[in-house]
Amino acid sequence: MSAPKPEFLKFTGHQSFTQRLVLSTLTGRPIHISKIRPNSPTNPGLAPHEVSFLRLLEAVTNGSSMQISYTGTTITYHPGLITGAAPGFGAIDDTIEHHLPATCTRGVTYFLLPLCLLAPFSKSHMNVRFEGPGVITSATETGDLSVDSFRTAILPLYNLFGIPAARIELRVLQRSCAGPHGSGGAGIVELRFASQVLLPKTLHLNRSPGRIKRIRGVAYATGVSASNNARMIHSAREILNPIISDIHIAAQYDQAPLVPDTAEKSGSKKRMGIGFGLSLVAESSAIGVLFSADVVVPPKGGILPEDVGKRCAYQLLECINSGGCVAGASAGTVLTLMAMGSEDVGRLRLGRNVVGTEEVIGLARDLKKFGASSWGLRDADDDDTGDIIVSVKGTGVGNVGRKIA
Amino acid sequence: AQMLHSRPSYRTADLARLMYDEVLTADEVLRRWKGEVEAEEENIEDSEDEDFFKKAKHDEDAISEDRSIPQYDYDQLAVKWSVDDNIEQLRQRFTTANLGGGDDD
Repeated sequence: MSAPKPEFLKFTGHQSFTQRLVLSTLTGRPIHISKIRPNSPTNPGLAPHEVSFLRLLEAVTNGSSMQISYTGTTITYHPGLITGAAPGFGAIDDTIEHHLPATCTRGVTYFLLPLCLLAPFSKSHMNVRFEGPGVITSATETGDLSVDSFRTAILPLYNLFGIPAARIELRVLQRSCAGPHGSGGAGIVELRFASQVLLPKTLHLNRSPGRIKRIRGVAYATGVSASNNARMIHSAREILNPIISDIHIAAQYDQAPLVPDTAEKSGSKKRMGIGFGLSLVAESSAIGVLFSADVVVPPKGGILPEDVGKRCAYQLLECINSGGCVAGASAGTVLTLMAMGSEDVGRLRLGRNVVGTEEVIGLARDLKKFGASSWGLRDADDDDTGDIIVSVKGTGVGNVGRKIA
Repeated sequence: AQMLHSRPSYRTADLARLMYDEVLTADEVLRRWKGEVEAEEENIEDSEDEDFFKKAKHDEDAISEDRSIPQYDYDQLAVKWSVDDNIEQLRQRFTTANLGGGDDD
């Protein structure tokens, strides 16, 4: 920060795009990403959701600048201060409105996950309202969580870092599944993140992951018959009930959002983003150990609600089976917060197959590039699960030192 | 889990060593860790071929987006979780397990 021209950290590829931008913003180091889908014959360069994420970053920070090359395959990003929804910086009624385009194929959690990593370090509250024809609140075929899983399986994890989750609120004002061809949705989601901290604590989640004591879930049907909910719940329970009895799955039925029909004559409207899906979260007796599963019907349909329920139950079992204290979907969040938190060594118990994913290894490498220390890995030897204990040393990126650009 | 332990590759120490080896891609690290790539010599010989096929490979990359939920073959999962042994093994992870030590029971 003191050097007048800090070196750009160089990355290639479109993988972990949001993760790298978040780390760059948190550590204040500018980055240069090249070779973003250079060989794709149809869609070279940045995808719509990535451009959208850049716009979001621009909205919640002050003084960040980015240059995207003509073809969109190269981008340089100069991070600014994380201001959040500060008055005078584009916030209307203390809320930043972020518009997602209809071409967006990712669920809204694609934006929420990285945004929530920035939020604890923000200067003022991070209140962002996502709207527009691209907001998909359900899980997506592209591998995003549903907002329900995000709220029940990711947000509680912030408690462990001394970031009170009670002050984080995710309001789903309008639900929507993915529109035709998987893009677009027209939901409305508002994130109100009022838990800004000086320095997140690190985490010692290296004990036994406990035992699963209950399963909660949300079945959602948007714009289709509410009986789909009952059918999904029934078939998921068929599989899970023999293993555990404490299962509660809420049924959520909404009308699909009504949007102006651009293809038709002016004034006519159509329903958008219909579909159904199931989100399941297994809670363990150990605090902060959550496993989630999400399955949604593909936009083109053709899958019975019974199958969605079954698949979701199987996915949940698979997720629990992978072991450790943190599931794959939330490992990135937890590990990043540990690495950015206080300068302590934190320990995290992860399943062998959770550590052994490209995402986690990519995160380890990216963190090291941004100046964090290497992780220590060792076997958890108190039982025969084969879990790995990852020791992460924090870099002490707090809110204090971030007041200067 | 016990099966994993008996295999010489797939050791934690190996991963710690391989993880920060910038020469390898994350995918290669994993394959090597899991013992799917045995010797390095083969790679050197194949490298020319790999260059030749690079284009096709990159197209595959373009499909691989960041996912929070991995892709599963649900038919396989259904088979896996219809086997009683697997369910019984997983039952240990639930409070309903009959070990006399259920926290909540």
